[in-house]
Amino acid sequence: MILEVLKTNHSHDVLVVGAGLSGLRVAIELTDQYDVAVLTKVHPLRSHSVAAQGGINASLNPEDSWESHAFDTVKGSDYLADQDVVEVMTKEASRAVIENEQWGTAFSRTEDGRIAQRPFGGAAYPRTCYAADKTGHNLLHTTFEQALRKGVNFYQEWFVTSLVKSEKRVCGVTAFEIASGEIHGFTAKAVVLATGGFGRVYGHSTNALINTGDGAAMALRAGVPLKDMEFVQFHPTTLVPSSILITEGARGEGGYLVNKEYKRFMDAYASKDMELAPRDIVARAIQTEINEGRGFDDYYVHLDLRHLGKTKILERLPGIREISMFFADVDPIEEPIPVRPGQHYSMGGIHCDKDGVTPLSGLFAVGETACMSVHGANRLGGNSLLETLVFGRLVGQKVGEYVSGSGDVDECTVDDAAFAMREKIQSILLRESGESHAEIKEELGRIMDNEVGVFRDQATLESALKAIRFLRERYENIALPRCDTKFNYSLIRALELENLLCLAEVITMTALMRRESRGAHWRLDYGTRDDENFLKHSLVTLVDDYLKTEYIDVDLGQFEVMERKY
Amino acid sequence: MLFRVARSHKGKEITHYDLYKVDARKGMTVLDALFQIQDYMDESLAFRYSCRGAVCGSCAMLADKVPILACRTQVSSLKEVSSKLKPFTALTDTPLGWNAETEILLEPLPNLPILKDLVIDMTRFYDALESLKLWAEPAKGEESRIQSPAERKKIERYVDCIMCALCFGSCPVNAEKEEYLGPAALTKAWRFYEDSRVQDPKTYLESANVPAGSPLCDLIYNCVKVCPKGVAPGGAIRKMKEL
Repeated sequence: MILEVLKTNHSHDVLVVGAGLSGLRVAIELTDQYDVAVLTKVHPLRSHSVAAQGGINASLNPEDSWESHAFDTVKGSDYLADQDVVEVMTKEASRAVIENEQWGTAFSRTEDGRIAQRPFGGAAYPRTCYAADKTGHNLLHTTFEQALRKGVNFYQEWFVTSLVKSEKRVCGVTAFEIASGEIHGFTAKAVVLATGGFGRVYGHSTNALINTGDGAAMALRAGVPLKDMEFVQFHPTTLVPSSILITEGARGEGGYLVNKEYKRFMDAYASKDMELAPRDIVARAIQTEINEGRGFDDYYVHLDLRHLGKTKILERLPGIREISMFFADVDPIEEPIPVRPGQHYSMGGIHCDKDGVTPLSGLFAVGETACMSVHGANRLGGNSLLETLVFGRLVGQKVGEYVSGSGDVDECTVDDAAFAMREKIQSILLRESGESHAEIKEELGRIMDNEVGVFRDQATLESALKAIRFLRERYENIALPRCDTKFNYSLIRALELENLLCLAEVITMTALMRRESRGAHWRLDYGTRDDENFLKHSLVTLVDDYLKTEYIDVDLGQFEVMERKY
Repeated sequence: MLFRVARSHKGKEITHYDLYKVDARKGMTVLDALFQIQDYMDESLAFRYSCRGAVCGSCAMLADKVPILACRTQVSSLKEVSSKLKPFTALTDTPLGWNAETEILLEPLPNLPILKDLVIDMTRFYDALESLKLWAEPAKGEESRIQSPAERKKIERYVDCIMCALCFGSCPVNAEKEEYLGPAALTKAWRFYEDSRVQDPKTYLESANVPAGSPLCDLIYNCVKVCPKGVAPGGAIRKMKEL
């Protein structure tokens, strides 16, 4: 149901920000018992969950086990994942997959009609359930159908601009109605941030253009810490030139990586797992081949699927074929696909526990925007869709408990915040000339790609940090001439850029601080893992005007910390 | 490359067209061109976008009178496309001054109200999902259900629908009859009817066969020609009508 809007202040028990899989699953959990509204800047079906291709992990087979899935996840995380959170996710995995099947998702099937599972990187068992190579699409459409069935309330095409808090707790948000350009205040007992990742900090990213980390940036500005922000996943195989994702499933089905000498090179990097080593390892291998002059045109390698044959490609990887044909003019049945590593996933995010509870009372986080931390220093393929559905449900339950025991919040604070936000936006719109947000964004992408990428070192990170801070200064003077308020997408992109800039600074700062190599964070000047000093989560908190940094312990438990080899 | 883009400041109707000169580079998509315009020439131009990879369904519009997804259509390919669609006014009426040889014409997707420039009001399109109750009643029990690959195959092309509304915007019946539920919603009803796991498939058929539903389809198949995902809505509706 779409809520009709006649006034500029609104009140609900719970506000969920974001309508991808995480946000929808939270709303579904709560909607029977509470007054819940979902605020989303795009129609729910346009959320980035729709783009997930390869699958969702669960130890459905009796020969497999949650312990094995948990071990693979912890090892894949380079031991930085909190093992109590991993336990919850892997134990709940089958339930989440079965629930979605019962809601109607058309999973691919084995000959005897069970949910089909394929091998994925870093996994000891083929436990990745899939719907061809369109798993996210299938899960999102099904979950949205169930949200409609439940009568979940939506504010569609609303851009949330700030979190509002009193001294002790969150009391709502301010948001911008894209259609009218008006700022409204929303009062709520609890706010759940489910705004996804922030891949668009980078120029080369598989992420949708809307993935700008709005939730994480708002949380930071509200004084909530961000955790492990230096851990950015670079997917090994993104399409040249558009950086659209080419699923790990393509290698799971048997695809080869080949350099310009027409040689499969993965044996030099992961002789046992080859192309199916975890993403951080394969991304570094490809980048090394390119850096050492063995890439095609010096910037990409080939993903060769031809030996899989036409039938298998059409049946298991139809979406990949379509993407290759439309966006690179290559038919993988006949030619190899040109690929290179590109930003793909944000392991870091809003600091919270396994129930999504953040240090700010009433504020919860879930999905890619959260850092519980279940992926540590490197996420395994098939674990992100899983995270959204498992923790969407559990965080929803926790929010319900919180709301039941919580009193009303102060509406005046929200009205004041909405007034302040109107003033801020007016001042941008009234500026007649100044910097172009598009130019600043392009420059930011270039800096992050080149200086905060797959390989990092102190000198380049320092230069990046300086450049990002300079861009932040330039941002203070942006102008949007000739715009009015209705459907002002330039203004939205400018506001998103403010979020990207502050997250870029945090990513680069924490990358500088971590003087070791772990998972996706690889320092050329500190090339080994240093458990003595850095088996810890980084935390960054905005205090007054400066960013406070600290380290906190990792939850270790079941699995002993070991060397990570594939 | 010159782009002639429909403008509608207040919505409802196209008031005028603006002409922009974009530096076309190899591989440039229509969506890339729109961002070039918005970023560097005219911040006020409004259009929807999200995934830029043809999976989210945000950017349906008309380019040179052909219904397309802006993100997956290469600028260089446009002049070679002939759509072979059955015409209706929005697909045939051309603006004064448009030079079809040298300019790419961008307009909002027809058959739904314009809100601003290339942004349309999709309320009617989305409402059908709720009015027809296009969802499954959740199955009970601890286990997932069994479905053979052949049974899944029967619904595969229908579950591929991304709800971009290109079918709705290209349908001559939708152009004339505001009440018509449109190809995507009816096809989704067929998807549930054909799903071997659904308990009471007839209900989906009954809701699709309401007067504003399948009876209004004239089997023109514009929807089949424009669908970016090979869903072939017209085929599903034909089967529905034949039952």
